[in-house]
Amino acid sequence: MQMARKVFILGGHQTDFARNWTKEGKGIAAMIREVLDGGFSETAIEPGDLDAAHVGNFAGELYAMQAHLGAFICNYHPVLRGLPTSRHEAACASSSIAALMARAEIEAGIYDLVMVMGVELMKSIDSKTGGDYLGTAAWYEKECAGVDFPFPKLFDRLYDLYDEKYGVNYNHLAHISTINYENAKRNPKAQTRSWYMNLQHACSTGNYNRVIGKRLRATDCSQVTDGAAVIFLASEDYASLYAMRTGNNIDKIPYIQGWGHRTAPILFDDKEAEARVNKYVLPHTRTAITDAYTRAGIKGPSELSCIETHDCFSITEYAAIEHFGLASPGEGYKRIEDGTIEIGGSCPINPSGGLIGCGHPVGATGARQLLDAYLQVSGKAGEYQVDGVKRAATLNIGGSATTNVVHVIGRDA
Amino acid sequence: MREIKKVAVLGANGAMGSRCGGIFAQAGVRCTFFARTEEKALLGIDNAVQQARSDILREYITPKTYDELEDELPECDWVFEALGEDIGLKRGYLERIDRARNKGTIVSTVSSSLSIEELAEGKSDDFKAHFLGVHFFNPPGKLPANELIFHPDNSDMLKSFVSSFCEDRLYRVNIVTYNRPGFAGNRIGFSFLNEATLYAEKHGVDTIDYLLGPHTGRAMPPLATIDLVGLDVYRAIVDYIYNKTDDERHETFSLPLYAEKMIRKGLLGRKGQTKSGFYSKGKEDEILGISPNSLEYSPLKSMKIEFVEDMKNYIHDGEYTKAVDIIKKERSPEADIVRHFILGYISYSYSRIGEVTPKEHGISGIDKVMAYGFSWLPPSGWVDLLGGPSPTISLIEKAGLPVSEQLSVQSADSHCLVSDVQKYLIAR
Repeated sequence: MQMARKVFILGGHQTDFARNWTKEGKGIAAMIREVLDGGFSETAIEPGDLDAAHVGNFAGELYAMQAHLGAFICNYHPVLRGLPTSRHEAACASSSIAALMARAEIEAGIYDLVMVMGVELMKSIDSKTGGDYLGTAAWYEKECAGVDFPFPKLFDRLYDLYDEKYGVNYNHLAHISTINYENAKRNPKAQTRSWYMNLQHACSTGNYNRVIGKRLRATDCSQVTDGAAVIFLASEDYASLYAMRTGNNIDKIPYIQGWGHRTAPILFDDKEAEARVNKYVLPHTRTAITDAYTRAGIKGPSELSCIETHDCFSITEYAAIEHFGLASPGEGYKRIEDGTIEIGGSCPINPSGGLIGCGHPVGATGARQLLDAYLQVSGKAGEYQVDGVKRAATLNIGGSATTNVVHVIGRDA
Repeated sequence: MREIKKVAVLGANGAMGSRCGGIFAQAGVRCTFFARTEEKALLGIDNAVQQARSDILREYITPKTYDELEDELPECDWVFEALGEDIGLKRGYLERIDRARNKGTIVSTVSSSLSIEELAEGKSDDFKAHFLGVHFFNPPGKLPANELIFHPDNSDMLKSFVSSFCEDRLYRVNIVTYNRPGFAGNRIGFSFLNEATLYAEKHGVDTIDYLLGPHTGRAMPPLATIDLVGLDVYRAIVDYIYNKTDDERHETFSLPLYAEKMIRKGLLGRKGQTKSGFYSKGKEDEILGISPNSLEYSPLKSMKIEFVEDMKNYIHDGEYTKAVDIIKKERSPEADIVRHFILGYISYSYSRIGEVTPKEHGISGIDKVMAYGFSWLPPSGWVDLLGGPSPTISLIEKAGLPVSEQLSVQSADSHCLVSDVQKYLIAR
């Protein structure tokens, strides 16, 4: 299961997730142009060096009346005309799938430098319509048609599953949200960095913290976000030249040490049935994680310095704690209580703020997580840097834990 | 070590008082909101809660009337004055504060233009040592700029404490400004806005707001902005700056006669009783613009000037360089107007370095106040977009405007420190 070749991450860029591009009168083409401007500028990579590009986007046709987004890469600069491009979709895991493809091409020796971009423009429509569009990440006609804001309700069922199996104290979920909002305050690109939030507010209900589904509240939910992120994956040959050119040591450049990719049954009913006969509530998520550990040659989370995980809802991060192996099944709450997952703990989760704090532009989240893992491992995360990160993991989930993609990113020196 | 556990907010029923007080409460500081009646203070609390989007804030704020001021002040570590922009009113309350406060209590005013030294005149030495301007921008929940105007008697320790507190606890972007009329933001911003009122007299309200629309780096066109500020408040600031300053753009602060007439007629903008100012609404909710000559309202002209629409299209697609190239190259009287205003803004901003903000801060202080206080594309952001200091200077000279030495000496390698300036170019 070892990787055939090293695949390095040379850096990238994300847009400010607090921006509302519709209010700025801008379309998805502007967002793509800006994230590419930022990506090329921050890495000092020449557009002409690219061999291919993969775009992750969930629902451009719905939110922005625009598909075929790979072609917009070629629109950026005349030197990119003719570049092989494509778009990938796996709901909220879209740009992680794009990253898997890019990595596979470099691992196979086909290309040396491949760009991965995730992009989503979501604030172009009202929230109810947006909720309906998000329903296409589940089995729409069976689970979401005619349901207002279906996704919080689907994840309420995850909450129910946990509660039935192991019991859940809501305060633990409130802690997760509070930590992620606090972390976001240190992230200059986080959507919620100027929002008011604390544990008291998270534990409250009322006008400003309504229960959205059955038990999950507004503070348990990730955001509706406009955003894009881009990263550059490179072969060892390209990365060596890049390191020399930029005065770096290749041993200090992060690379993909392992990955995992599993798809669960799309219907939540089927997931529920599996959860009842497994110690892990989300067995395919767990397998994606253990696959990544195996490929990376690590035993488990004791060899990770931090994790960027998919907290589309607080309950999803709650599940992730034990699925990563930080606790036994049913005991993830212990890592909340003992401070493990906070900045300063032994394995901080979502130092960027995660989807709850940083934001969740659906198709871009995977690329954003990989960028944040790169920043942490290369010591470039600024005010939200976790001390001494050598290895980080990301978990990106599409739908109701349907598509699961895990990456382990690390450096040698 | 100094701690801020409790803040008294005066004028807490007003938009500024309630929202600024709310920012303290969001930081976990207990606040007492003072107003003329308890009902008004409670309305202020509602405002603060709405800003934070959390009812939790109510636990941090107590409503009181001014009758209880002397009893409450000895328990307060900071008195935040946000009363009406009337020097007599403020001085009266500041005298009461001086008599009732403990030594060492910080007292700040959120005044947007009145002299800090004048407000502190006649007060105790300890008051002066702890009195300063802390000018948040409205709404402070969305605009983090904070002009800090220190009194000459403030110690370095106090300055450092207040700066750190505002930055670290209140999430403000601090801009140290000198005690000049309008401080930094209003001095520069209101020159632009008022010159727009002067041009509107000749060219029409709708033409000026169309030409100087969001595609030129401001979320809102200038005359619509004045309607939002309120013409009475606007006049107070612009008159004060006109009367107390005398620089190369002095006449841009002269309020045109038609605007005076509008104010006398009660056409004060959105907040006035008539809800009319430069703009009004017709019977079918259609937007009407005022004629500066007749003060009558009529439907807006449907304006489509090719270069403006081209700019908007380029901005929509993220092709900012092409949009700005139009500003540089387009030949027409309308483009001259756009250039006059943008280049005038850059010229005036750079010329005020050292007068409104410390010289050693360069353009960065003014950049910050215009970006984070006004949501305007900051002046050195424009210099970057125009290609750097040298092309900008050529354009300014061609437009017949003065070139500041500060711009002349700016290095071509030095760039605007405000991130994402392109977000201020808006395709509307």
